[in-house]
Amino acid sequence: MLLFLFLSPSDPGSVDLEKVSNVIVDQSLKDQIFSREAGRICFTIVQAEAKQTNGNVFRRNLLNRLQQEFKAREETRKRSTHEWVCLVSFICNIFDYLKVNNMPMMALVHPVYDCLFRLAQSDALKNEEEVDCLVLQLHGIGDQLEKMNLQLMDELFNLLRDGFLLQEDLSSMGRLLLLEILEFRAGGWTLSETAQKYYYSEVTD
Amino acid sequence: TMSAHQKYRYENDCKPDENRNKGASRWSQCRKRGADGSLRTSHAVEEPGKCSQSSRRPESFTTPESEGPVSRVKNWGDEVEAEEVRSNVQRDAHRYRRRILEADFPQRDRKISSGSSDSRDSRDSKESPAKGDIESDEATLIRRQKQINYGKNTLAYDRYIKEIPKHLRQPGVHPKTPNKFKKYSRRSWDQQIKLWRVKLHAWDPPAEEGNDVQQIEEIDLGEIMDFELDVECSGDTESPCPISSGASLALAEVIFTICYPIPSKISSNSISQYFHFFLFLMIDFCGGNFPCYVLGYTHFVYTAFDNF
Repeated sequence: MLLFLFLSPSDPGSVDLEKVSNVIVDQSLKDQIFSREAGRICFTIVQAEAKQTNGNVFRRNLLNRLQQEFKAREETRKRSTHEWVCLVSFICNIFDYLKVNNMPMMALVHPVYDCLFRLAQSDALKNEEEVDCLVLQLHGIGDQLEKMNLQLMDELFNLLRDGFLLQEDLSSMGRLLLLEILEFRAGGWTLSETAQKYYYSEVTD
Repeated sequence: TMSAHQKYRYENDCKPDENRNKGASRWSQCRKRGADGSLRTSHAVEEPGKCSQSSRRPESFTTPESEGPVSRVKNWGDEVEAEEVRSNVQRDAHRYRRRILEADFPQRDRKISSGSSDSRDSRDSKESPAKGDIESDEATLIRRQKQINYGKNTLAYDRYIKEIPKHLRQPGVHPKTPNKFKKYSRRSWDQQIKLWRVKLHAWDPPAEEGNDVQQIEEIDLGEIMDFELDVECSGDTESPCPISSGASLALAEVIFTICYPIPSKISSNSISQYFHFFLFLMIDFCGGNFPCYVLGYTHFVYTAFDNF
């Protein structure tokens, strides 16, 4: 039934890619699970469009829409933490999947870092939801981001380390998440076996 | 990259080359807002370690890097497109240099790599340029590539390459894409492009106007459409997936599972809670090599996928 949403009114045999990109963005901002899958879907559509029509209408619309949402991120964060973390999750997912000739999109590097830096501010670190989002993204794309800009990653982790050590209003889970990501990066974006056991095995006693 | 700072819209007072290891205070110095989100004023009494400078505050935490002059207001769509053209040009240049080397040192039984077909004439000994004669200025290459892209993004070009496969093309008779890696003057190059595009017009589709620069914004389902509408998805049906013949079913399955791996943890009870997108790949029944796409929006019905 909702297939009709995407059909162009002038030519019902066609699919309106601009509208598709908008719907994908809208859904990603509401649904956190979807925001983590959307990258893969978008990638498939981008490939498909390039192959069929040699165009990139979908990608261009997607990115510009994403840019709008990114610009409004502070208001979004004020209005709804959930939407804000969905936005971050989505941008990072797009960064992960939408590569240009197998290289990450340079245009997104600073915006992604901006989001992560925002999550590393003290007002965000005290929210477990935001810390969770932060570490999730770093697990997923931290190594790629570091390759694109090492000094920014260093600065980000300085903030995280300071937050962990100095900030008093972190939740204990928040603190644990930060400790894990600090170790994760220190280990070269992977967790040693000992660390794995420490963080992820069940406590029996 | 300091000059890029001045041109870029967000200007950042932070100088990342200076001592970066001061922790939070380093970044605090450049922050426009305090931790509670309120704007800092230059004279506000601040906590130790926080910023007391009155220079302009950035909107972003990061210093943007740029490869060259940037316009004041950039949109990501354009930026990424420019990245892509640049990256394609670099890749083509790499392949072209390798091809030149192969031409200099021909080896038997070496497989010809598919790549930019714009520059295949390196193997022609009469035209093969010496290594020093390759056009390597990136801005020039990008400009030329864009001109080539305009020409290739036409119906005429599409029809031409379908009608005349590469091995049947005769020099002089059939239009040949100018080789962007050869040294030409600006005027000579522009002229070659013009002539090339004029020749391509011979393959314009009949009785249609304005085909020169064609932007296809919508993907045409053509004959598929009626079939699609019959089997659209709704939350209450058990089989939401409109797949047609055997071959396209297989392909669609592949695309679907790439696109959307079925989460193993979802129980059938929670299905109605989920809305998901999935992508269908339909093969044009006539063309056989003209995939069309339909995006369906539906309730995710787990049982339906047992049919895959």
